[in-house]
Parts: sequence; C-alpha cells; structure tokens
Amino acid sequence: MKKLVLSAAVLLSTAAYADGEKIAVFTKNLTNPYFQVVRLGTESAAKQMNATVQHYVPTKPDSIPEQMSQVEDVVVKKPNAIVFIPVDPKAMVAGVNKINAANIPVVNVTDRAAGGKFVAFVGADDYSLGLETARFMLKAMGGKGNVVILEGVKASLTNIDRVRGFKKAIEENPGVKLVAEQPGNYQRLQALQVMENLMQSFPQIDGVLAANDAMATGAIEALDAANRKALVVGINGTKEAIDAIKAGKMLASGDYAGFQQGCLGTMVAIRELRKLPVPKEVVFPASVIHKGNYQPYDVMADQRACPKYEDLVK
Amino acid sequence: MNFALSRPGRFIGALTADLKTIGYRLAAALVICVILTIASDAFLTANNLLNVLRQASLLFLLASGLTLVILTAGLDLSVGANIGLSACIAASVMKLSGSALLGAACGVGTGLCIGVANGLLVALMRMPPFIATYGMLWVVHGITFWYMAGTTIYGFPAAFRALGSGYFLGVPIPVYLMFVFLTLGAFFAQRTTYGQEIYAIGANRESARLSGVPIARRLILVYTVSGAMAGLASLVFLARMNSAEGDIGEAFTLPAIAAVLIGGTSLFGGVGTVSGTLVGALILTLVLNGMNLLTLDASWQPLVTGIIVILAVFLDTLTRKRAEARK
Amino acid sequence: MNEIAMDRPSRPVSAVLARVPGVAWILGLLLIGFSFFSRDFLTGPNLHNIGLQSVILLILALPQTMIIMTEGCDIAAGAVLTLASVMLAWVLVHDGSLPLALAAAMATGLIFGLANGTLVALLKMPPFVVTLGTMGVAQGLALIVTDGQSIVVNNDALQAVYGGNLGGVPLPLLIGVAVYALSHGLLYHTRFGTYVFALGGNAEALKLAGVRANAYLVAVYVLGGLMAGLAALILTARMSSGHPTAAIGMEFDAIAAVVVGGTSFEHGKGWLFGTLLGVVAVGVLRNGLNLLTIPSSAQVACIGLLVIVALFIDGLKGKK
Repeated sequence: MKKLVLSAAVLLSTAAYADGEKIAVFTKNLTNPYFQVVRLGTESAAKQMNATVQHYVPTKPDSIPEQMSQVEDVVVKKPNAIVFIPVDPKAMVAGVNKINAANIPVVNVTDRAAGGKFVAFVGADDYSLGLETARFMLKAMGGKGNVVILEGVKASLTNIDRVRGFKKAIEENPGVKLVAEQPGNYQRLQALQVMENLMQSFPQIDGVLAANDAMATGAIEALDAANRKALVVGINGTKEAIDAIKAGKMLASGDYAGFQQGCLGTMVAIRELRKLPVPKEVVFPASVIHKGNYQPYDVMADQRACPKYEDLVK
Repeated sequence: MNFALSRPGRFIGALTADLKTIGYRLAAALVICVILTIASDAFLTANNLLNVLRQASLLFLLASGLTLVILTAGLDLSVGANIGLSACIAASVMKLSGSALLGAACGVGTGLCIGVANGLLVALMRMPPFIATYGMLWVVHGITFWYMAGTTIYGFPAAFRALGSGYFLGVPIPVYLMFVFLTLGAFFAQRTTYGQEIYAIGANRESARLSGVPIARRLILVYTVSGAMAGLASLVFLARMNSAEGDIGEAFTLPAIAAVLIGGTSLFGGVGTVSGTLVGALILTLVLNGMNLLTLDASWQPLVTGIIVILAVFLDTLTRKRAEARK
Repeated sequence: MNEIAMDRPSRPVSAVLARVPGVAWILGLLLIGFSFFSRDFLTGPNLHNIGLQSVILLILALPQTMIIMTEGCDIAAGAVLTLASVMLAWVLVHDGSLPLALAAAMATGLIFGLANGTLVALLKMPPFVVTLGTMGVAQGLALIVTDGQSIVVNNDALQAVYGGNLGGVPLPLLIGVAVYALSHGLLYHTRFGTYVFALGGNAEALKLAGVRANAYLVAVYVLGGLMAGLAALILTARMSSGHPTAAIGMEFDAIAAVVVGGTSFEHGKGWLFGTLLGVVAVGVLRNGLNLLTIPSSAQVACIGLLVIVALFIDGLKGKK
C-alpha cells in the first residue's frame, strides 16, 4: 500500500515539470558527502535552467551490477540526457555502451570512464590537486621532515592521480622523507586505524598527505587522541574540512569542486539538448583551500546556487 | 556427585567447562602476542597494546549482546546497520539539543527499539532470525540514508569524546566499559534464571518450553539486549570518530559474529560464554593489528579472518566430539 | 537393495495452491501496481531487462534452495562467484578460449564447494561458520589476484553468449532455464533429491540406514559451487570485466529469495518454484522502483520490507 501511495506521489510531482528536460543523474552511493554535493549541484543547475533531475544511486554502495541494472532500467525510460559518474571506470563501460546504443546524450563527471562516447567530461585535475595540496604542506613544513601518504581506493583513477601528485611534490623537496604509504580506502575509520598503527612504527611524523578529507579527519582524530601533532592535508574541500581548517586542525584541502562539477555537468547536458555549443572537456584547475582563503568556500552546500555557465567554463 | 541431576552441580560443571574453553583461547591469544612481538618491534609498546584493547573493547561491546542471541540458536545480522542509525540519531540529537546525555540516551534508545523489532519478528511472527534481521538491516539502512541525506554530522564536546578516545589512569575508557559489561554479561548469563533459560532455549527449545520457560519473552529479551548493546557501541564509536555518516557500522557485523564464534559460542545454541566472546574479540583484533603493523595489504584481512574463524570452530568441533565420545 | 520409504512430497493442485507463499501475492501486487503506474514497465525491453538482471541471482538461488533444505546455508556464494568471475576474466585475457575460461571458473566453484561440503558433512561444522570462513578466503583471493582492479575483457565469444539469443530468447535466460530444469530434475526425480529432502528432516535415520548421507551433503555444496562458476560467465559478460567486489553480498539476496519463496531453514521443506518467484519478486521490485524513480533510501527500505512482509504473510497463514 505504502509503495503505491509513494509511487502516486512521485508521479504527480514530476507531472508539474512536464515541459522541462528530464536529466538522469547517476552517482556512486548515498553516504559519501562528496556525491551529495554533486547531486545538489545538479539540482541547482536544473532549477536554474527549468529542467528536472532524477537521481539513481545503487542501494548497495558502489555496486557495479546494480548501477548496470539502473542504467538498463533508465534507458527504458528514455530520459532526455544523462549525467554519469561510473561506479567503476572500466566495468561500467558496458553500461555506457548501452546508453550510447539508445542514443541518449551522456556527460561524464568526476571519474573518467575508460570507454564509451560522451558529450563531454567534467572533472577536476586529480594530479594537480595532489601536487598543489602537497606542495602547500611541504612548504609549510619548511621542505623537510617525515611524511606519510594515506591512499584512497587502490583501483580508483582519482587515487592513482592524486598520489602521483603527492609523490611529485615530495620529489621536489629532497629534505622530505616519505616514511610510509598506506591505503585508507577513502574511509575515515580505516584512516584512523592506519594512522594509529603508523604512529607506533614511526615516532616522528611531521606531515600527513591524505587523498581525501574523510581520511584526513580520521588521521586528525588519531593524532589528537595520541596527543601528537602533525600537519594534515586532504582533498575534496568538504564543509567539515573547512571547519577543521578554520579551527587550525587541518592545514589545507584541495578543492575538488564537486558542486561545480554537478552544476556544469547538468548545464552541458541541457545545453546539448537545446543545441547550444558545449565544450568537449572541462577540467577545473587545482585550488588549495587554507586558512587564508577559505571564506568563499565556507557555505553549506544546500544553500549554494550554481555559478553562471560562462564562469564555470573559462 | 551426580552433575547431571543437581542444578548447582550442573552450574559448576558448566563453569569448569567454560574455563577450559576460555583457557585454550587465552593461550591462543598469548601465542599470537608472542608471534607478533617477534615479528614487529612496534607491537609490545604500551601505546599499541592500549590501542588493541580499545579496538577490542568496541568489538566486544557489540558482540556481547550478540552472544546472547546466538546462545538461543539465533542470529542478528542487523547489528552493523543498528550502529549506523543509532550513531546518527545520537549525533543529531546531540547537535540539536546541545546535550550529550540526551543524545546518548537517544542513541541507546534507537538501538533498543531496533532490537525490540527484531525480537518481535523472531518471537511473535516466528520468522527465521537470519531473514528477520536481514530484512531489518535493509529497513534500518534505508532510514539512516534517508535521514542523513549524504551529510556528515561532526564535532562533539570533548567530554563526550572522552568516551571513545579518552584515557583514565592511563587506560582507554572503552576498556573500562568492556570490563563492566563483561561482568554484567557473565553474571547475567551464568547466575540469573534469565541466563539459564537462555541457555536452555538454545540447547533444546522443546524441553525448555515443556519446563515452562517463556520462550517468546526470552527471545525478545535477547534481541533487545543485542540492539541496546549495539546502541551503546555506536556511542563509543561516535565518540572515537567524532563524526557520523550514513554508512558507519556496516563493517562491524561480520567481525562481531566472528568474535562470538571464535570465542566458542556455537551457532546451534546452548553453548558459549560472554567471556569467551571477549577473548574472541581480542584474538581477532590482535590478528588485524598484527597485519596492520606488518603493513600487510588490507586485501589480506578477509582471508585471514576467514581462516581463523574456520580454525577456531574446527578445533571446537573436534574437542566437542572428543568430549561426547568420552561420555 | 534396502531403501527406506522416503517421503517425497506429492503435489496435487490443491496442495500447491495452499502452499502459495506470501511472495506470490506480493509479486502479483507488484506486477499490477508497476504496470499501472509506469507505462514503461510492461514493455518488451523492460521485461527483457528484468529477466537478464535476475538470471544471475536465480542461478545462485537454486542450489541455495537445496542447501537450505539440508538445514544449511552458503554465505560464501557471492564471494565465490566474484572470484570465479575474476578467474574467468583472467583466463580470457591471457588465453582467449571461452571454454577454458568457463572451466576455470567452474573449477574455482568446484574447489570451494568441495571445501564447504567437506567441512560441513565430514567435520560436522556449522554451515554458517564454514561458509563465513570460505567467504573471507574467496574475497581475499579475489582482491589479491586483481590488486583491487578490474580485469577488462574484450572477447567476442563472451559477448555472443550474453547478447545472443536462440529463437528470440536471450541466451542467459536459456542458461537460467537450463539450470532450473537441472535443479528440478535433480531434486524431484533422482535419489540425490530424495536424500536432500530427507537430510533436512532426519539425517540420523539416513545414517543408520547405511546410506552415504555425507556424500550427498557434500554434493549439495559442490553443486552450489559449480553453479556459482556458471553464473560467473554471465556476470563477467555483463560487465565485460572481472571485478573483485562485483558480487559480494549477493548470497544474502539469494538466501532471502529462497526463504521468502517458501523454503524453510528448519524442516527440510523446499520449493524450487517458490525460489523462482522470490528471485523474480526481487528483480521486479528493484526494476519497478527504478522506473518510478523512487529515492534510493526508500528503495533500500523497500527491499527489507519485501522480505519482512512476505514472511509476515506466511506467518499469518500459519505456515511454519
């Protein structure tokens, strides 16, 4: 009974936007705040441009078969366009092929898929983010000391590029020693436990390069609990990271611009439908958020509105 | 003395058998410690050992209630999801009301309610525990994801955070909680009628029913306790992590079950102890700690955990068969 | 040869109707509801999708039915399927022969099935524990072998299996039908099946009769492993790759589908067709919720509710 009433309500609510384009947005999971920010970006862009978005998220986080099933189901519904973050860049190529076969324009966001035809790719430059964020921290360290790297999900492209950036920055600073490199799987708890263990093995850790903010905050908790100090940087620019930067607990965070990615991805999809010119690829430049410049970033994501298209594309 | 007939006699007999099972396991834990001391310099430091105790305490708090459930030949697959919702509700209430105490009460209360729901499904609706708690797992996750909407709640008062990451007299606070609940749990299981009835239900439900044990009420009780303990564990977890997100806790379900099984409690019911679960939690945490110290890839963890579970239960099965053959 | 008179369930029509499980009513309701609220639901392409999406779960759930009928369970099935999928992909990439790859996948399943069966039947360990252990081993192996990465496969034979059809019916569906027919035949028309029914009811009596109950119990788990290997063919084809976490957790969906379909953990009662209904119900529910764009968190809750409501209905009907 509940399901029927729910379905009726959904149907009635979508009927109100009957003349707007329907954009299907695929994200990886319900729990990582990054994807929530992306989703908010897509919603804001759609509202500005008089279209609607429908979200598809696997019920089992990051489940490949489920996203595949959702792609198949959505293709049957024939949305006007799709904004797509693949759960796995290689395994989901088959899904993108299905979307292509149905002639639905699709924009690739955040994780670059390993194949398939896209209208455009909108993402951030993980390598530069890693590089700039690490450079910022190493400079604050005076170019010398012991650092550890907390990696994300091993197979993830974002992780591979960010860590490459970290390592390049370390290379540029011969006085800095990389004492350990451990995966935290982008998870807060894992990073905390890894950090705890690393602190046992290495009595002197001066800097922590975390591939994302969740792991950075995990490392900070571990350091706090053990009464040790180290400079910590992360990547993503979440509100939590910004609060930590304000409080002096985190040094800096690379801005992954999730909100803007959601905005621009949706804008490109809608523009493509309206036969407006679109870029083939937009990679946001790396910017590092720190104590001196955090103010413009310090806004709750659900209170933000998308910047103008022209501003995003330049 | 005829152990089979007299109740106190049976109790004493059970106790000595328990000490033996726990004894073997403690010995195993010690052996692991020795191996790790040799393998890694970082192991036998005060900091590391305290960390191990802290992690084991969290696992034990969760697994202690689960022990009671498994003693009745049941299962609770929803404990991980329970932690998630309880922590998120506790965090949210803490932020909204400003009171850590109120938040904590709501957290435990949420866990308790989930436990009651499980108990009702299993006891009154007669659903197989596997399926009932599996269904609840999804429902609880759904509620958590909807409520959290992909956000994170973070930043709690230092007094509350001490619950998870603080020390008292040099020992992490969760360890004190562990001993408190170890005592409570062992007392409850071994020395109260409730406890004895729980064992009886697990050993032979029909006989228990014929002896007048209120099966439904006891089943609801054990699932409620399991849920409440998950709620409590979620507070410790929240205090340690200083943040709550929708997906926390899910990673704890199978390790909690593994801890109970490694501790000697049988899935068939009627056999096992809360203290055994503590040792099981210790063994599991030690092994994982060792793997971390030796910087073994996290990919090996499920493999190693799996092998330990099989080994532990295999040894149990052997000793039980030998004990039966001797009778 | 001495044969104990085994109770095989006779199935007159009225007995079948009385056994219609709660899931059948729910499935009917879902089909009607989704057809009404979504114009895309009852279309050829969509039904085609539901079929393809459900086939892998069906192949896992059918042997799981028999395992549960013997009062056991196999929670390693998803991890074994994942490992088999990885092995299949690996062989395809390094050798290119599909039959060889399939053999490797089924051999993987066979080995784990043997391990599970031996530990359960000969060492008398609880199935949950044994398969919890082998689940960890399979999962760990999959992660280690692939180092967490997908193994991408570009193989025409594999795609032909997934995308091809025979007389309009997609090949994967035909594979599913074949597995169903095989399971049905094994369960209802062979001595093996008779013993599966009996093992759940009274294993002790079987042993006293001199029947090699243990061998059949091992065989049930071996069947589960082999089917996981077969399902790997479809899974790998679907993703054109082998991924180390692709099917983790799928066994719980399979077990839920089996129990919701009417098979009982405790009394050796089993109904293969009920499992099919359970699998289809899950597939229809997920598909319908996607078509109606129900928010994902509500979808998560609905899946749990499906399980609970189905068993609730059964409980009300006094079926236990």
